[in-house]
Amino acid sequence: MGEYKTRVGIEVHCELKTNSKMFVDSINNYGGMANVNINEIDFALPGTLPCVNEYGIMLGLKAALALNCTINKKVVFDRKNYFYPDLPKGYQITQARNPIGVNGYVEIEVEGKKKKIGIHDIHIEEDTCKSTHADTKSYLDFNRNGVPLIEIVSEPDMENEKEAMAYLEKLKEILLYTNVSDCKMEEGSMRCDVNVSVSKTETLGTRTETKNIGSISSVGRAILVESNRQIQELEQGNTIQEETRRFDEKQNRTILMRVKETGNDYRYFPEPDIPPYILEDTFIDEVKEKIEVLPDERREIYRQAGIQSINIEKLIANKEISDYLRNFSGNLVIASNLLLGEISAYLNKTGKKIGDTFLSKEKFALLVDKLDRKEINNQIFKEILIELMETDHDINKIVENKKSASFTEEELKVLVARIVSSNPQSVEDYKAGKDRAIKYLMGQIMKETKGSSDPTLVNRLLQEELARK
Amino acid sequence: MNRYLDLSIPEIHELFVNHKITPVDLVEECYHRIEENSDLNCFITLNKSEALEYAKKLGEEKVEEDNLLWGIPIAIKDNISTKNIRTTCASRMLENYVPIYDATVVEKIKSKKMIIIGKTNMDEFAMGSTSRTSYFGAPKNPIDKTKITGGSSGGSAACIAGALTPLALGTDTGGSIRQPASYTGIVGMKPTYGRVSRYGLIAFASSLDQIGPMTRNVYENALLLNEIVGKDKKDLTSRECEREDFTRFIGKDIHGMKIAIPNYFVSNIVSNEIIQKLDHVVEILKSNGAEVDYIDMKYLDQAVTLYQIIAMGEASSNLARFDGVKFGYRSSQSDSIEEMYANTRCEGFGSEVKRRIMVGSYLLSGENAKIYYDKALAIRNAMKEEFDRVFQEYDFILGPTTTTVAYNLDESLDDPRKSFMDDVLVIPVNMAGLPGLNIPMGENDDHMPIGLHIIGNRLEEARMYQIASFLENKLK
Repeated sequence: MGEYKTRVGIEVHCELKTNSKMFVDSINNYGGMANVNINEIDFALPGTLPCVNEYGIMLGLKAALALNCTINKKVVFDRKNYFYPDLPKGYQITQARNPIGVNGYVEIEVEGKKKKIGIHDIHIEEDTCKSTHADTKSYLDFNRNGVPLIEIVSEPDMENEKEAMAYLEKLKEILLYTNVSDCKMEEGSMRCDVNVSVSKTETLGTRTETKNIGSISSVGRAILVESNRQIQELEQGNTIQEETRRFDEKQNRTILMRVKETGNDYRYFPEPDIPPYILEDTFIDEVKEKIEVLPDERREIYRQAGIQSINIEKLIANKEISDYLRNFSGNLVIASNLLLGEISAYLNKTGKKIGDTFLSKEKFALLVDKLDRKEINNQIFKEILIELMETDHDINKIVENKKSASFTEEELKVLVARIVSSNPQSVEDYKAGKDRAIKYLMGQIMKETKGSSDPTLVNRLLQEELARK
Repeated sequence: MNRYLDLSIPEIHELFVNHKITPVDLVEECYHRIEENSDLNCFITLNKSEALEYAKKLGEEKVEEDNLLWGIPIAIKDNISTKNIRTTCASRMLENYVPIYDATVVEKIKSKKMIIIGKTNMDEFAMGSTSRTSYFGAPKNPIDKTKITGGSSGGSAACIAGALTPLALGTDTGGSIRQPASYTGIVGMKPTYGRVSRYGLIAFASSLDQIGPMTRNVYENALLLNEIVGKDKKDLTSRECEREDFTRFIGKDIHGMKIAIPNYFVSNIVSNEIIQKLDHVVEILKSNGAEVDYIDMKYLDQAVTLYQIIAMGEASSNLARFDGVKFGYRSSQSDSIEEMYANTRCEGFGSEVKRRIMVGSYLLSGENAKIYYDKALAIRNAMKEEFDRVFQEYDFILGPTTTTVAYNLDESLDDPRKSFMDDVLVIPVNMAGLPGLNIPMGENDDHMPIGLHIIGNRLEEARMYQIASFLENKLK
C-alpha cells in the first residue's frame, strides 16, 4: 500500500481596480454607505441593458498575459442563470465558454524547489450584491453588484498546503504588481475556494470544495485538515462525496455545507446583449508593454546587486518602494538600506507615501551617490532627512549648510584639545580607568558641535588627545 | 368635435404654423376619440392630464417649423419604459410598476416634442400573436370588432387603424409590428436589428427584439423612423449609421427594381384571397418596369422552430428578473425565499408567459443547450446567409405578411401553436436581422385588410419606403 497523495486546485476571485463597474456604468466603490453607487441597471429595472467596461477587459487581459495564458482574442460573454436575491438580473454575466485566457502557469518555489502550477483559465465576470442577514430579514447592498471580477482557476497541480500557499502568494504578488487588483483578502477583494482530493494512485480522488477561506495561512490549514479528514474517511472504508464545505477557523476543521447535486444547471448561453469584443494584436502588445517588471525579475536584479535576501523580500513586499527603485542606477545596497530603514520609518510615522514627499528620484540618486562616495555620513543623512523630505531645497545646498555648520578635522582637533585641557578632573578619572569620563568628554564635544560631527571621528581624536596627556 | 386628426401630418403641421390650431386641440380630439372607442381596449394606461398640460405648454411656445412631428400625438406600446407613466407589459407582474427612467426612444420622442397619449395594449410581455394574452383583456380590431387585432403590438395597431392617434410605436420580435399592421390595414416597419436602441424596451428575446413605427401611411412611417434611429451607447447592439432621411426616395418610380418572391411565401399555407391580392401587386410591379422572379429559398420553413428555441431560451433568462425581490408583483403568501419566487411568478405571470419560460428553460438545460440552442443559432446563421445570397441579386423580397386575414376573437384559444403559425411568414426577417415592412394591399370580401410584406437588405429602409409608397399610391 502506497501513501496518500493530496492534490489541490484553487479558484481565486479578484476584484479589478476599475473606476466603474463591469457591465453597469455606476461607480465601483463599496464598503461605505449601502446602495449609493447604483443606477437603474444595477437594479435590473425592466428594459435596462448592460454596457461593457473596456478598462475591465484590459485588466483581465493584463492578468491573463502576466499569468502566461493563451489569449482568446474574441472576447464573448455568457449568461449564468440562477435565482438568488443577491443576483438582480437572475443571471450573472460571465465567460463560461471562451474565457479570456487559458493554459497559463505560475512558477512557485517551495523549499528551494521550483514548480509550475497550471492555470486552467482566467475569465471576467461581475460580482453579486452583498447580502446581510439579521433576525428574519435580509438586506442587500447593490454597491457591490456588478463589481468587476476575474476568476482564476488553477489545475489541480499542488500537492500540499505549502505549494498552495506559495501559489497564492505568487498570484497575489503578480496581480498587485500588474495593478490588476489590490488583492486584500481580509476585505474580500481576493477570495479563495479550494478543491482538495486524496488518492494512492495517479488517478485523482473525489474532490471536495472548501469555500471562501479568509487568508492564505487559513488556506494552508484548511488543506491540511481537509486532506487528513479525507484520508481518515477512506481508511475507515468510507467514500468521499463531491460536496461543498467551509473552514471553521476556531475549530480548525472543515464543515459540510451541502452535497453537490449532479451537474448544477446554470443554463449557460451566449449573452445576446453584448456583441463580441475583438482584441486587436496591437492592443494586446500595448497591454504587454504596460506590464511592469514582475516580482521574480526584480528579485533577480536585487540579488545580483548584492542585497541581502531578507531585504529583497522586504522590497518585494513593499511595491511602492520597489517601484521607486526601478531604473535606479546607483548603489542598490545603500539605496535599499535607506529606503527600508530611515525613510520607511519616516513614511510610517508621517503616514505619507514616498511619492508625496519632496524626495524625488533624482534627489534620492544624488543622496545615495554622496553616501556612496562618503561625502556625507549616515549621521548627516539622518539630520538632513526631514529637510530632504519636506522641502524642495537643493540637496547640494542642504549638505553644504550642514557641513559649514560642522567642523573640519583640524577644527575638531583644536576643539578636542580645548575641552580636554579645561576638564583636568575628567582626564584624571580617565587615567584612573573610569569609563564615565570619556563619555562625559564626548558629550561636551558633541554639545559644542551641536551634534554635527561624526562620533567615530570625535572618539578617535579624543583617544589620541588623551593618550598625549 | 373637429376632425383634425384625420388630416395628414404635413397638413396638421401647416395648421400649427399658421396658428389655426394648437396641440391642445389635437390632444383633446385624441382623448375624445379614445373615450368614444373605449371598447377597442387599445390603451392600458392613458397619460391624459400630463399630455394636456404638456400640450398647453407647447402651445405657448414657438412652433418648430422644420419639425413636422412637433406637437403630434403618439401612442407607445406598453413594453417601452416611460418615466412616471405606468409600464405594465400587459402583465399582472408589472400592474403597478412605474419606471424611473425613459427608454432611449422615449427620450427621442420627447426631444422632438411629440405628445405621449398613453401606453398601448399588447400580448403579455409581447408573447403572442393576437394580443389576447394581455392581463387587461384583448384589444379589438377597429375594422370588425369581433376580430383579433393581431399581436403582440395589437393596441398600437388598433389605435392607428381606429384613427385614435396618428403615430404609434410597436415592437417586433417575431412579427409583432407587421402582423397586427396587416390584420388592421396599417403601415408597420420593423427596422434593421440595431437601427433603434432597445434601451428601455422590456426584453422578450434580446437578439430579435426591435422597436418600430406604426402609422397610417408610408410617408409618416418614414418620418417617425427618422426620429427614433441612432447608435446608443446604452445599447451595445445598436448600430453606428450615418444620419439619413428615410423619406428621400419617396415619390421616385420603381423602374428596374429586381424583386424576388420565395415560393414558400405563395405556397398552400397562404389562403387564396391573399395570393390573389399579391398577384395583383405583381402585375403592378411588372407593368411599371420592375422585374419579379419566383425563387426557392432554403430554411424559410424552419423559421418558426428556430424562433421557438431562440426566443423562448432568451425569454426564460430575460424574465428571471421578475422575482418579486426588487420591483413589481410579490406574492404575499410565502414562508421562504424559494416559495416567494415560486408564488410570485405563478401568480404574476399569465399562462402563455409561463409556458414559454418553461419551454425556454428546458431548451437551455444541460445538454439541451447544445442539442437545441447552439444548433438553432447555426441554422439561424445559415438562414442569414441565404438571405444575403438572394440580396446579391435582388433589391427586395416580397410576399404576404400573413397566411389569413384576422380571425375571430374567440377562435383557436386553446391551441398555443396556432399563435406561432400566424407569424410564419414574418419570423425569418427577425432571424436574419433584416428590415421588414407591412403595407395594406387590399381587403377580402368581408372588408378585412390584407397586408403586403416587403423585406429589404440590412439598412435599406429608405428604398423600402420608396417601393412601398409607390405601391401605396397605385393600390389606392
